[in-house]
Amino acid sequence: METLRQILSPDFLLRNSIYTSVIIGLSCPLVGVFFVMRRLVFMGVALPQISSTGVAIALSLPMWLGFNLAGHGSHSVHTLAFTGSITFTLTAILVLAFLQRRGHGHPDGRLGTAYVVAASLSILLLSKNPYGEIGWLDMLKGDVIAISDFDLVLTASTLTLVLAVLGLFHKELLMVSFDRELAIILRKNVVFWDILLYLLIGLTVSMAVLSVGPLTAFGFLLIPALMAHLFARNMRQFTVLASLTGGAVAFLGFWLSYQYDFPVGPTDVVVLGVLYAIAWIVARVI
Amino acid sequence: MQRTMNEALITLDNLSIGYNNQAVLSGISFSIVRDCFTAIVGANGSGKSTLLKTILGLLPPIEGSISTASPSARLVFGYVPQFTHFDSIYLLTVFEVALMGTYGRVRAGAFIPHYERDFTHECLSAVGVDELALRRFAELSGGQKQRVLIARALAARPDIVVLDEPTAGVDRSATHAVMEYLSQLRKERKISVLLVTHDFAAVRQHAGQVVWLYEGDVLIGSAHELLSPERMAGMFEKRID
Repeated sequence: METLRQILSPDFLLRNSIYTSVIIGLSCPLVGVFFVMRRLVFMGVALPQISSTGVAIALSLPMWLGFNLAGHGSHSVHTLAFTGSITFTLTAILVLAFLQRRGHGHPDGRLGTAYVVAASLSILLLSKNPYGEIGWLDMLKGDVIAISDFDLVLTASTLTLVLAVLGLFHKELLMVSFDRELAIILRKNVVFWDILLYLLIGLTVSMAVLSVGPLTAFGFLLIPALMAHLFARNMRQFTVLASLTGGAVAFLGFWLSYQYDFPVGPTDVVVLGVLYAIAWIVARVI
Repeated sequence: MQRTMNEALITLDNLSIGYNNQAVLSGISFSIVRDCFTAIVGANGSGKSTLLKTILGLLPPIEGSISTASPSARLVFGYVPQFTHFDSIYLLTVFEVALMGTYGRVRAGAFIPHYERDFTHECLSAVGVDELALRRFAELSGGQKQRVLIARALAARPDIVVLDEPTAGVDRSATHAVMEYLSQLRKERKISVLLVTHDFAAVRQHAGQVVWLYEGDVLIGSAHELLSPERMAGMFEKRID
C-alpha cells in the first residue's frame, strides 16, 4: 500500500509515466473495438510493429544524411520519431486496407510478412545506428519511464482528439463497419469514413508505440476489447467497458512493475492476459 | 401503357451487368412502377443479386442506363439484405439496427432527433417486433431478423423496398408471414416492392410483375402469364431436352 500511496502522490517522480500509461490504456481499446469488430486482429499485430519501424527509419535518416542528432533536444527527436511512426502507420494501413478490399491474395499472409519484415528491419536499422544506445532503443521498446511534460501533453492532446472524433462520428463509423452496403445506398461516402477510421487508428497506434512500444500497444488494442466483448450487452457497454479495462490495467500494471521492479509494458500485457483468462472462465460459468 | 410509363420509378434501358467489365447479363430493359410488387426470379448464379446490386447502385452497370422518375429528386431505397449477411460479433440491439435506416436523413456527427427514434419504434411495431427492441440483433431467429431488417428499410421512408432473398433460411410459416406483410405494405403505404427470390410459389401468389432470369435470357411479364404451371413445365422440359 505504501507503493500505491507513492504512485498516487502529486509529487511522484514518475507521474508523467503513469498518466501516459493510463491515457494509452484508456484510448487504445477505443480503436481496438473496431479491430475486433472488423476482424482485423492481425492488422493490430502488424501496425504497431510497422509503426516502430517508421520510428527506426526516421531516427536513422539524419545519420544517413550526415546530421548529428545527439546535440538536439528530446523534443526534436520525439517529433522526428512521431513523424516516422505516423507516416509508416498510415501508409501501411491504407495499402493493406486497399489490398484487402481488392480481395486478391492472402490477407493474413500479407500481414504476417509485413510484421516479420518490419520487426527485422527495425532491429537492423538500430543496430547500425550509433545513437541507438542513447535512449532511442528505449523509445522503441516503449520505455514508459522517461516521459517528459512535452510527451505527455502531445499524447494527451492527440488521444483527446481521437476520442472526440470517434465520439462525434461514432454512428457513421459503426454503420460503415456493420453494413457497408446500407451506407452506400444511403449515399454515405464510405471511402471517406474508412479513411477517417484508419487515420484515427494510425494516430492512436503511433502515440501508443512511441509511449509504450509495439508489444504493449498491441496488447492494449486487442485484449481489453476481447474481454469487454465477453460481458457487454450492447455497443456502448462494449466501448466503455473496453476503455475502462484498459485504463485500470494500465494503472495496475504500473503499480506492480513499480512494486516489483518489472518493466512496465510487459507487466501490463501479462496482467491483461491473466485477466482475460479469468474473464473467459467467468463468462463461461455465468 | 402510357399511364404505366408515367408512373415508372426506375427504368432500366438496355442494361448490361456483371463484374470487372465481364457481363453476366445483357439487354435488360424494364421499368418498376409505383405501388407495384416486382419479383426477380431465377436459379442460383443466374445474376439475380448482381441485377439487384446494380439497381441499388452498389455495382456500376457495364452498359446501358438506369434512370429514375425524377432525376432531380433522389429515389430512396429501403434495402433488406439477407440476414446471414451480418457478423454476429457486433453487439447491436434490434433498435440500433433499425435506427440505421434513419441515418440517411441525419447529418454526419449530429445526434439523432427524438422524432426519428419514435419513428423507428413505429416501424418496429409495424412489423411486430418492437417488444424485441432491446434484445441483441444477433440473438434473434432468422424470421425475427428479417422483420427487423424490414423495419430498418421502412425507417428510411423509402420509395421502393428492395429485398434480397427474404425467404432464404427461414421456415415456411415465416416465409408466408414475410410475403403477406410485404403485400400488405405495398397496398397500405403505396410503396413499391422489388424482391429477389427463387421461391416461385411465393412469387406466383404475391408479385404483379416478374423478371425471370433464365439461362442468360431476361423474361418479363405478369406472374400469371410467366409462372403459369403450363409455361413453367414447358421451360423445364426444354431444359431437360
